[in-house]
Amino acid sequence: MPDSIAPSPQAVIPAKNHIPGNMAIWVGILSEMTEFALMFIVYFLAKVHNPEFFSEGPLRLNTTAGVLNTLVLLSSSYFVIKAIKSIRIGQVARCQRWLWYAVAMGALYLIIKFYEYHWNSERGLATDTDIFFTVYYYTTFNHLLHVGWGSGAILWAIMGIRMGGITQHNHSGLEAVAVYWHMIDLAWIVIFPLLYVLR
Amino acid sequence: MFNTKSVDFIWLVLMGLTLLSAAIAESPDQGLVLILVITFTVAYKGRMIVDHFMELKDANRLLRNSMRVYFYVIPGMIVLVYLFPDLIARLTTL
Repeated sequence: MPDSIAPSPQAVIPAKNHIPGNMAIWVGILSEMTEFALMFIVYFLAKVHNPEFFSEGPLRLNTTAGVLNTLVLLSSSYFVIKAIKSIRIGQVARCQRWLWYAVAMGALYLIIKFYEYHWNSERGLATDTDIFFTVYYYTTFNHLLHVGWGSGAILWAIMGIRMGGITQHNHSGLEAVAVYWHMIDLAWIVIFPLLYVLR
Repeated sequence: MFNTKSVDFIWLVLMGLTLLSAAIAESPDQGLVLILVITFTVAYKGRMIVDHFMELKDANRLLRNSMRVYFYVIPGMIVLVYLFPDLIARLTTL
């Protein structure tokens, strides 16, 4: 895609009260948020019934990996909104560049997460270590899967742009991918303090 | 100067709040004040992403409110679990 595409003089501005993406993606997002909410309720209940494990557990985790992944996911969300703002003013090549940065952040997240799991494994921390680690592995692995297929969705959007299916004036598909990706970031914003910070 | 409503500025604030949370994670004693700081951080980050990254601030009201409520309820639960762990444990014992 040439980088010299001139931006349209008329930026596309979303109408007030519009639905970002489409209604179908929001059914998915609200379902996923409900699923994560159930995991958070499990965390809260497990914590009040087993305070000693939830007090010691975060101290045994690799906090640096958790912090890095939070910074990586926040940056990926930032790159995605920059991509949306670029396509609205017709800067298609720039939009694709921001999306590639977001995909790179998704890959980096997965690399850090697998390093963290390896780091845990070397210290004998596993799903059956105690109830804290059962909750930790169930929640973070579930979230990891979302990052994996969310990155795939961004790649699909890049292909859509390259093939002309997603354009300045027809980019609801890209918006749908964007809001889904932000949902993944939102879930991590709760997971990070619950598992790595709060004791 | 940054426009405080710009996504660039919001991104930097969110990164800064994450580093603040990291410092709290290393704190040996987490009292109520630190719990409230963590809670505020979760609520604020959620609100910023919902309003400015998802762009729900001026979008469909039902979606906006659904997402905003999430980031009142979950932080509220963090505080309740900190303040009343024994009561919640009693109420949820089968």
